[in-house]
Amino acid sequence: MTVQSRREFLKVSGLALVGLGFVPSRRARAAAVEVIEMRSDALGSRVWFDPAGLLVEPGTIVRWIVRENVHTTTAYHPRNDHHPLRIPEHAVPWDSGFLVNPGDYFDVTLTVPGVYDYYCMPHEAAGMVGRIIVGKPRGPGTEPFDYWAGRAGTEEWRHVPDAARKSFPSIARILAEHRVHLTGPGM
Amino acid sequence: MKRFAFTVLAGAISAGMLFASPNTAAAQSKAPPGGAYQPVSKLVPLPDFLPGLGTLYVDPASLPAGPFLAYDHQGKLVSSIYMIPISDMDAHKNFSDLKIAHERVDHVDIVFNAGHPGVAVPHYHVIVWYVSQADAAKLAK
Repeated sequence: MTVQSRREFLKVSGLALVGLGFVPSRRARAAAVEVIEMRSDALGSRVWFDPAGLLVEPGTIVRWIVRENVHTTTAYHPRNDHHPLRIPEHAVPWDSGFLVNPGDYFDVTLTVPGVYDYYCMPHEAAGMVGRIIVGKPRGPGTEPFDYWAGRAGTEEWRHVPDAARKSFPSIARILAEHRVHLTGPGM
Repeated sequence: MKRFAFTVLAGAISAGMLFASPNTAAAQSKAPPGGAYQPVSKLVPLPDFLPGLGTLYVDPASLPAGPFLAYDHQGKLVSSIYMIPISDMDAHKNFSDLKIAHERVDHVDIVFNAGHPGVAVPHYHVIVWYVSQADAAKLAK
């Protein structure tokens, strides 16, 4: 997995696929790019990833781009402020840091098959989370939210907030629809 | 319960208006407010100007409630903002003796916010506006 962040204007310059540890080869430039928008209403009352659920093939570059407000894309992983592991065991966790301006974006290349759950740091408690399935659903992201409770070494892990639990699209729905856009009273 | 919290907050605002120092008020009417106030954009990763609110300053010791002092593009004080986490309301926490700018209040907005750097939990913005709704709308960009 590789990560990269740039302002949107670089996207058209050909530099957008150049990232930390990412070698811009012909093969890399040909990789598929899936875009997830980081959204908010004008008041900052409603925030969401769009799509919130995504099915991709291994090797896909996923790009999160800010449309409104300030966001992060951060993998559920103990390295990220003791959040529970909800990405494949051998995948590298990511944390974009704060993306402050509209057009800021962050790229991750997902190569390890499995379920990847992620959140927006300032908005996790409000339910701004997302789920990506790379290839086949497998790994900790397929487990119940509290699967780790009571296991040695997880004493400092944080529970997924209630609002976030309710916002994750189901694995079955992602497999059926490929791109899940959240709708309803809360959205 | 939330209504009670807002009642307490409104009382604190009213009390603060009675005792606000004129000298302090004059210093705060134009950006930067000075004293212990610092630009919010220097404390947390937020833009200098927040659409809908303005350029914010806060005394870090007053977090998370504030007040945050908001200024328009011309540096004029437009509002004081208090940020009250929902979790504090649910815990029946009281907020008293909150500071206030010595300005004529035009209207008050109480707006839910999903969170942002600095107050990264769902909370309410209690916005005490010193300008009209029309002037407040000019802060959209």
